[in-house]
Amino acid sequence: MSEVIRTRALCKRFGGVVVAEGVNLTLTRGQIVGLIGPNGAGKTSLFNLICGAIPADSGSVILNGTEIGGLPMHVRARLGIARSWQHNRLFPSLTVLDNLLLAQRRDRGRSLVGAYPRSHADEKTAARERAMAQLEKVRMTHAVHRLPTELSYGKQKLISLARVLMNDGDCLLLDEPMAGVEGPAYDSIKAVVRDEAAAGRAICVVEHNISFIKDLCDLAVFMFAGRIIRTGTIDEMVRSPELTELYFGA
Amino acid sequence: MEFVGAMLIQIGIFTILATSFNLIIGYGGLMSIAHPIFFALGAYGSGLITQATGIPVPVGIAFGMMLATLASIAVALPSLRVSGDYLVIASIGFQLGLLQIIKNSDWSGGPGGLTNIPPMMATVGPAAIWSYVAIVGIAAIFTILIVRWLVSGDYGRAITAMRDDEEAFRGLGHDAVSLKLALFAIGSGLAGLAGGLYGHYFLFVTPEQFEILYSAAMLTMVVVGGIRTIWGPALGAVLLQFMPQAINFLKLPSSVTGPLQGILFTGLVLVFLFLRPRGLLGRALGARVVQEDDPTEAPLK
Repeated sequence: MSEVIRTRALCKRFGGVVVAEGVNLTLTRGQIVGLIGPNGAGKTSLFNLICGAIPADSGSVILNGTEIGGLPMHVRARLGIARSWQHNRLFPSLTVLDNLLLAQRRDRGRSLVGAYPRSHADEKTAARERAMAQLEKVRMTHAVHRLPTELSYGKQKLISLARVLMNDGDCLLLDEPMAGVEGPAYDSIKAVVRDEAAAGRAICVVEHNISFIKDLCDLAVFMFAGRIIRTGTIDEMVRSPELTELYFGA
Repeated sequence: MEFVGAMLIQIGIFTILATSFNLIIGYGGLMSIAHPIFFALGAYGSGLITQATGIPVPVGIAFGMMLATLASIAVALPSLRVSGDYLVIASIGFQLGLLQIIKNSDWSGGPGGLTNIPPMMATVGPAAIWSYVAIVGIAAIFTILIVRWLVSGDYGRAITAMRDDEEAFRGLGHDAVSLKLALFAIGSGLAGLAGGLYGHYFLFVTPEQFEILYSAAMLTMVVVGGIRTIWGPALGAVLLQFMPQAINFLKLPSSVTGPLQGILFTGLVLVFLFLRPRGLLGRALGARVVQEDDPTEAPLK
């Protein structure tokens, strides 16, 4: 399996608070990695460092063999790093369809004038069809003209996942995709993530729902205080008294 | 009739100013209070270059627009790269600092202002005024159309998303800094256009006409007419041009008229912010036409 993302000795501190300390993480094509750990372990911060939302103090982020650590967030997204957010962060003033259309990955490397071309009718139709296809995956096509605020939190999670898929990138970073989700949506998300991995994407999931990680992930990574403490299967970690104590503070 | 023409010219100029300000603060969500100084750059820039070189007035106005645009980029670029909040501080500094330079320089006419600005029309009289009304009207419509074009379709979607959540917007691969910079530069350039038209109509300008307080008047036009609406700022400009005239009809002593205007302007903003924050032409809060779900799709239980 080929490597998509590799972080090397990634470090980040906010004053005295360490959110990443020498983090080495590798995500490979077709693999689903579960990132677990207690709150404040640095899981979301690691996502922020990989996608460029915050700059690293030191270390490097390599995407498909190219160092991208110095690139701004929007360029990394264009290169194929797509992420979802813990609290969805859908654009409340835009419909679900517009939220997805904005995430369409295309060559935006030119000037600002060329960044939002008045696409030809067939291009617009193709983009809409692609958005509808992503909504179909999460069974939310009926909400296409709704505002996100008109949907339940769980449904917003599904839309958020569909928006990530619009990027069509090599790397998907999913931040707590199951929070607030239950019932059929739970199965939808699981199926979608599995399909995307089968399509060759490298996927990393931050999740507190251990059964979700167990069902889905090939590999689990345990973080604590900004460090990766252990890498292995979720079963090994659940059985580890040391990690259980770190997780629950028991 | 000349009075009506003069009123229409002022309404047109303030429509350009309010519409361009709406692009920056309303659609772009960028807090700037330097709009009067970009207005001044258009007026002084065009006035000075046409005086000095004798180039045609429209070329001078284009120069004033370009000057305002370039200055706005110089102000916004460093601050927007850090955070949008810094733009407020940078805009205050630029507004106050440049106005002081204008007030204290010989080339600008100092506190007495710049006089003998070449007129656009070679002749004087009603025909010239109505021609100017037409020119300003075209410029105002051009401004409204350009803003409408920018805030609709693909660009409009991007601008709305950027205003809603800049970090999430960047996370989707969009360059928020360039977009904000472009909005600020276009809005400021249009303020420069208004300045050029203003200068070549009144033929003299003074620093007092571009004080920071005029930001409040422009904000009032935008808020009353309708923030983030296409025609709202134009309506605001009309109302705020007519209101002082209506007060004049009451024939109150000047000691009363001035404070009354101030109270009315401030009161209007407060009333609108409380009762109708999206202005006269804005959609009422919470109002939205919800499209019916597609019945062919099985909703998620």
